[in-house]
Amino acid sequence: MTQTKHGLPETVIFCKRCVMSNQRPSTSPEFRKTTTDIKTASFGADGICDACHYAEYKTSKISWADREKELEALLARHRRNDGRYDVVVPGSGGKDSIYVAHVLKFKYGMNPLTVTWAPHIYTEIGWQNFQNWLRAGFDNILVTPNPQAHAIMTRLAFLNLVNPFQPFILGQKMAAPRAALQYDVPLIFYGENQAECHNVMSENFSPLMDIKHFTRESKEDRKLYFGGVQIDDMPKHGVELKEMNPYIPLLREDVEKAKMEVHYMSYYLPWSPQFNFYYAKEHAAFEPNPDGRSEGTYTKFSSLDDRVDGQHYFTMFAKFGQGRAMNDACRDIRDGHITRDEAVALCRKYEGEFPKKYFKDFLDYVKIDEDKYWEVLDSSRSPHLWDKRGNDWVLKHPTA
Amino acid sequence: MMLRPPVRVIPRLDVKGQNLVKGIHLEGLRVLGDPSYYALRYAGEGADELLFMDAVASLYGRNSLLDVVEKTARNVFIPLTVGGGIRTLDDISKALKAGADKVAINTAAVNDPKFVSQAAERFGSSTIVIHIDAKKTKSGGWNVWTENGREPTHLQVEPWAQQVAKLGCGEILVTSIDSEGTMAGYDRDLLSVVADKVAVPVIACGGANAPHAIADVAHGIDISAVCVASILHYRLAADLERQGYAFGASGEFKVIAEKRDFSRVTPTTIADIKQALHERGVVVRSTQTQMEAHDGK
Repeated sequence: MTQTKHGLPETVIFCKRCVMSNQRPSTSPEFRKTTTDIKTASFGADGICDACHYAEYKTSKISWADREKELEALLARHRRNDGRYDVVVPGSGGKDSIYVAHVLKFKYGMNPLTVTWAPHIYTEIGWQNFQNWLRAGFDNILVTPNPQAHAIMTRLAFLNLVNPFQPFILGQKMAAPRAALQYDVPLIFYGENQAECHNVMSENFSPLMDIKHFTRESKEDRKLYFGGVQIDDMPKHGVELKEMNPYIPLLREDVEKAKMEVHYMSYYLPWSPQFNFYYAKEHAAFEPNPDGRSEGTYTKFSSLDDRVDGQHYFTMFAKFGQGRAMNDACRDIRDGHITRDEAVALCRKYEGEFPKKYFKDFLDYVKIDEDKYWEVLDSSRSPHLWDKRGNDWVLKHPTA
Repeated sequence: MMLRPPVRVIPRLDVKGQNLVKGIHLEGLRVLGDPSYYALRYAGEGADELLFMDAVASLYGRNSLLDVVEKTARNVFIPLTVGGGIRTLDDISKALKAGADKVAINTAAVNDPKFVSQAAERFGSSTIVIHIDAKKTKSGGWNVWTENGREPTHLQVEPWAQQVAKLGCGEILVTSIDSEGTMAGYDRDLLSVVADKVAVPVIACGGANAPHAIADVAHGIDISAVCVASILHYRLAADLERQGYAFGASGEFKVIAEKRDFSRVTPTTIADIKQALHERGVVVRSTQTQMEAHDGK
């Protein structure tokens, strides 16, 4: 029997409708993770993934007119006319956050405060799009963690979990709720419910994010892990507790007392990244990647702002056998932009392409050398997914 | 001074699989329905030529829209140009056999410039259009891109245009990736630079907006044709939607179905564009004569 790593299912199945495999991780609170083990995406008995089932449900069963009424009722409950902010919109200034902030302010008459959690290392185009977003008419708080501590945490997350993006995700989840508490704004609006892409379908029937993703149970709750390291051990790794402020989950009681509600716009309005691109182009001078398609995929309009981003997808590719092209292609199939046939061809062409453009930036950032990088990366490859042929690692189950 | 021939108006049809598609900066390609429908309508409305571009040719390593071209060629009698995935002399033969009058070549010429002269020698210069996808560089010039605007090359547009002209191409189609799909106007600087440097006819593409602005560019710069897409397509897409066209059959079509159209689009007809050109003193072939000719056949 072939052993699998990360708790992955041994048999690889590709969704018959999109091209996602059953090796895809579902989202769970990052600060509870002690190992690389994950729960995987859920598939129906018909060989179709939950994300596709939900996409079908969305196009056929949801009355968007009714959903918009729900949205208007929610906003009416929160709208303030005294100059205070009444909604917090987390975002980077990419096409999706531009859309959410813009409709809330200019279509529904809200007064949003946008909150941005800084990327590890800004790209030029990321900074430009971020600035153009604000120029379209928004106040913003840019939360930038101490780069020294952030780099160490990224290094730990890479070495221990082969997930260099974890500290980013952690801080990103906390930044908007924390600002919401500070400004006494109970309403937070995200764009898309990530669960629509890779969690069990039942999580999609609520517009709300479970607060477990950004809260700790009590002051005594020390089961908090960063890069797999328990919080009280962080000083041993060079991160003093006083540097941990941006990452420490909020107290559940504070969040409950503030009656905080974290909503997803994808519940209320039809959600399409492609449509958001057109919208962002029109309303905020959004520019796609000036260097052409992003490494590892065929698209040039998504996640453009961080030089470390390519490593996020590439480590996923090593661990789960699915990278950025598959991610984009599944989305495009569900949204009706490409056929499955085209998706397979796109994955065969681009999937797993190494992100070399900013590789040196990444190594410098986490202070490891190339040999160490490959040692960590290659040891994360599960034997049920990868074969080594000569010097090359070959996927046993290419997208089909 | 030589008399300037009529400036042609050429609808550009980007095709992916069975569908007409349209993006911005060649990204975010929207499915707009059956390309044959659009082709027939444009031919009937007085287009001087049609340009078909296979948007995924590089992905499959072939041009897969020859059946669309064949179908169109049976019904319309204006010149058809086919681009995307034209890599060998044999590919050109096949496109011509399917009813194309010209082929547009980009990547294959970049990979092997000799291919341009071979193609021109075999099929005649007037059959060979070199397609340049151009994107601004930080230093102020333009570079040549391939793979439908996804891969940069180190070639600079000006010397490349001069080289392909010398190699014998009959026309140069210049698409500005920066302007494409934005409806913010053609890139005048780019077009001037190319038109000044080469003697072969230049076709402007990328950014076509209001008819009077298109006419301004054609008046000020020595181009031989204007390519137009979004401002024509979205009008027909809305027509199709009103007629209850089953977009679902040709790929999903959520944006128009959900009435979330790109609001900057001012629907325009070919006659509007020709009228504006005419008013600006640019000679065009009359739409009327063409429509009669079309109806006559």
